[in-house]
This record gives sequence, C-alpha cells and structure tokens, in this order.
Amino acid sequence: MAKINFDLVSPEKLIFNDDVGMIIVPGKDGDIGVLPGHSKVLSSLRPGRIMIYGEDKNLLKSFFVAGGFVEINPEKCIVLAEGVDEMNTLDKNSIEKEMQELENKDSADSKNQLLVAKAKVDALNSSFYEKI
Amino acid sequence: MPSLKDIKMQINSVGSTKKITSAMKMVAASKLRRSQEKAEAARPYSSRLEEMLSSLASSAASGEGIIKLLTGTGNDQNYIIVPVSADRGLCGGFNSSINKETYKLIQSLESQNKKVQLLPVGKKTRDFFNRVMKDKIIESFVDMNVSSTGYEAAFSISTKLQELYFEGKFDKCILVFNKFKSAITQEVTQQQLIPLDVSSSSDDKKTSNEETSTNAIYAYEPDEETILQDLLPKNVSIQIFKVLLESDAGEQGARMAAMDNATRNAGEMIDSLTLKYNRTRQAFITKELIEIISGAESV
Repeated sequence: MAKINFDLVSPEKLIFNDDVGMIIVPGKDGDIGVLPGHSKVLSSLRPGRIMIYGEDKNLLKSFFVAGGFVEINPEKCIVLAEGVDEMNTLDKNSIEKEMQELENKDSADSKNQLLVAKAKVDALNSSFYEKI
Repeated sequence: MPSLKDIKMQINSVGSTKKITSAMKMVAASKLRRSQEKAEAARPYSSRLEEMLSSLASSAASGEGIIKLLTGTGNDQNYIIVPVSADRGLCGGFNSSINKETYKLIQSLESQNKKVQLLPVGKKTRDFFNRVMKDKIIESFVDMNVSSTGYEAAFSISTKLQELYFEGKFDKCILVFNKFKSAITQEVTQQQLIPLDVSSSSDDKKTSNEETSTNAIYAYEPDEETILQDLLPKNVSIQIFKVLLESDAGEQGARMAAMDNATRNAGEMIDSLTLKYNRTRQAFITKELIEIISGAESV
C-alpha cells in the first residue's frame, strides 16, 4: 500500500516526520481521515486527537493538539499545532485538578484553557478509531 | 615609581578578571549552541505558516475584525515600537545598538508628526527608555527567558499587542531586534509586524509564493476567512517567537565575542604588567648594590 508523508510541527520543534499509512486529524468541521492521494485541503483544527496509523492500519502513535492547522496534498500531510502532547503522557488526575483550579478563575484566558483541558479529558475517555 | 607590592596586586586582580571573562565566554559558547538549535527547530513551523498565509492573503478583502491584522486600520498615525534587547549586559554593543536604532527611529517618526509609543522587551532597553522617555512606555516585558519558557513567552507579548491594536491604540507595530547572522555578527533589523507586510518577503518566501500560486487549488475548511482569522493572530505570535529566539542566539554570540576580546586584552595587560614588575625589581636590586658598593668604597 502507498504511504503518505506526515509532519507534525509545533512552534518549538518538529515532533513527528515519517511515511505513514493513514492519519486522522481533528478538523474544525469534523475529523478528517487522510490516506495517500488525498485531495488538497487546508483546514484549521479543533482541540482533539491526532491518530497516526501504519500501513496495515495499526495505530502507531496518537497526540493531543490544542489547535492549529493542517495542510493536505496527495503526497504530504502537514499539521502545524500548538500544545502538543503525546496521548500516553497525559495524566487524567492532574488534568482534572487543573480544571478545578481553572473553573474558579474568570477570565477569557482561563476559559480557553478550560476548554482545552475538557477536550483533553474527552480525548482520554474516547476510544474511537483505536481499532479500524 | 609604584612599589613592587602594588604591581603584584594589580597583576593578581587582572588575572582574576581574566578567569571570569574566559569562564563567561565558555558559558556563552555552550548557550549559543543551544539557542541556535532552538532557533533552527522553530524554522519549519514559521516557514510553513508563512506559506499558508501568503496563499490565503490574496483572498482577504478589506475586512473588519481580525482581518485588520493583515489589511491595517487604514491610518498611519500611531506607531508602537517594540525594541528587543537582552536582560543582561556584558555583551558588547548588543544592547546599545538596539537602543540607538530605536531612538533614531522614534526621532525620525516624530519629525513626521507621528505619535510613537514603546513596548520594550528586555531589561536593558526598558531601563534605557525609562531614563530618556518614560512617558512613551505603555508596558514592558522583562525576564522572558525564551530558551526555557519557549512559545509561551512570545504568546504573552502577542496577546498584549493585539489587545492594544483592537482597542485602536496604534496603527502600525515595528519590531527592532538583533538578527542573528553568525556567531560573531548580529544585524540590527526593523520589521513591521502589524499590519502584516506580505510584500516585504525575503527571497526564500518569494519562491514559496510562486510555488503555492502554481498549485493553489486548495479546498478550505471551514472557509478562507475563518482560517485567516485563526491564522493571523498565530502568525503574530510566531513572528515574535522567531524574533525572540534570534535575539537570544544573537545575545549569546555577542557575549561570546565580547568576552573573548576581554580575555585577550587581560592577557596582554598581564604580560605588560609582568614586564614592568621585573624591571622594577631589577632596578631595586641595582640600587641596593650601588648603595653597598659605594658604602664599602668610602670606608
């Protein structure tokens, strides 16, 4: 099966760069599954999970992103993302603690952070796409 | 003539200065390597973002709200200048060149009857403008430590700037910073941050422009305008982040060069002082001998 080149870039560094079988990214209007030969799309992202699969649809890695953009063309998929964490480094308890602290604050900034934290918990709870 | 003891003390004090400067040089050299790596790691993101932006920029009509970051307010009266310096001294002309350049820029803008405000980043430039034109400073950012805090540092500056921009406090924002050219040279650079200057693209950006225009049939999700609204504020932060990283690398480079010079000068000074010490010592011995001999002769 063909492969598609995938870049995951954060402002600080290049996090992931390899040829993979398929990627699922959390597009603003819904999840986008990217296979080799995908048509050209430019989309912004909502907070959620990026899932990376190998050639035989085995899950290689999953990341949480707080937002960003994706640029897709037939050979390449590039995600520019902020607040990237690898899913298995996230700790549910510490996020929930953080959420409680944030709920007590009342500023636009903390509300945003709260949304991201909520999305993190949702991402941890969900098991969508783990086996396809 | 200075006594032997005085010269000896002077040699010792120059020697310990030399030790300090050479240690600072080593530290700066290793920090330089780290900041350079950071600056390089940030490059893929910013170049990609610029590409996306340039392919989208054409689709932005003169709009309201966030699009103003791209199209401008339509005025050209109020300026905000963001000089970026280091937090510490002892790095040659690094900080003073920023202050000088900013000062010149302010004077030239004011001679054209523009209103100028300042938002200094870094202790050295804040302290300077606190002394000479305190009334112009609206806010300052110090202790950014971009190499350890990373993107967050840039984000706080960018949020503040956008807040001021949408309150209508200024029409144009200009960054003054040291561009990292090589480990020993930095170039004081001015960059217009808001509104975004798409035309002032460097050569590498131009090629990417051509690239995207030849195959620019993208499907946009949700649509161009919504993406632009996400993209533009992010671009401001990223530009600031890039500038902070460059300035950080430049600072270490400048400090390394300055400390290298200082170490060399201290070495030269020790040599000449040692020579003086030996000469004085011999002069004393000769004098004493003459006294003894002439004393013996007169007996």
